[in-house]
Amino acid sequence: MSIRTWPFTRSAATLFGAVAMFSAGSLLADDAALGTDLKATIALQGQPCDQIVQAKRNGDSDYTASCKDGNHYHIFVNAQGRVVVQKM
Amino acid sequence: MSRLGCIGLFAFISGCAATHPAATSVGADDARVTPPAAAQPQASSPPNLPPPSTSPVPNPPAAVATPSPTPTPSAVGAAKPAPVMRPVKPTVTPPRSAAAQATPAKPPPSLPVAPTTPAPARAAAPAVAAAPTLNLTDLEQRLRNTRAIGVFTKLSLKNQVDDLLAAFRTVYQGANKRPPPELRQRYDQLLLKVLSALQDGDPPLAAAIASSREAIWGILADPDKFAQI
Repeated sequence: MSIRTWPFTRSAATLFGAVAMFSAGSLLADDAALGTDLKATIALQGQPCDQIVQAKRNGDSDYTASCKDGNHYHIFVNAQGRVVVQKM
Repeated sequence: MSRLGCIGLFAFISGCAATHPAATSVGADDARVTPPAAAQPQASSPPNLPPPSTSPVPNPPAAVATPSPTPTPSAVGAAKPAPVMRPVKPTVTPPRSAAAQATPAKPPPSLPVAPTTPAPARAAAPAVAAAPTLNLTDLEQRLRNTRAIGVFTKLSLKNQVDDLLAAFRTVYQGANKRPPPELRQRYDQLLLKVLSALQDGDPPLAAAIASSREAIWGILADPDKFAQI
């Protein structure tokens, strides 16, 4: 019985590993897209940021971004529907 | 004996009629493409001819008639290309002129339709938008749908576009109906921001916006056109 289930467990482990790698890759892609979006938003507001090294989600349409040059920004959408970039 | 002779004659005639299409089938292969129906009437006419005359006499005309249907298509096909090609060249140029004459002739029917549907104010906007290859609705939809820029960037750009439009609206509410150079500068800066955001992720859209730059400014700088936005 154990001999018979062994290939299935191994294939299941392989499948889970592949799914985990794929999801991790998609998360990395999402992070990259979010970093690009935040960086472009900061630049559109005329603020300096060479590269986003960390982005933390505070809530819906509310992020805190850290740039490689040491600048930190609070980026959010206010009640009037405007994108606000505040230097922290 | 006469009955047997008639039967024999009928069998001979029918045999000739049977061999008749067989002889035409060689040429009929060429004729099948264009006029199979035209070959049949001529093939059916020879059998009609034999009864009045004797069997040897109809055969030669039938043989002449059978080549005639087959060569006629091939001959027509061979003869037509040469004469047709020569006239085609002359006719190609006249059709262009005829088409050119027809296109002006067609717009009149469409022109009455256009004036009937829109009011004079509405008619001015599509005419202006169509001339410089500008489709604001299409550009707006493409900007909304593009994945080259994120949600925050899109919203930020929209805020700045709204600010610029508000500035134009403020100017046109005053006595001066000409936009100041500062607005042109703001417009150029905003367009550069849009292009820089799009040029890597969606080059076709960036090119479309860049090519529509002056056309969009033409709408913004004209108070009448601006009021129709």
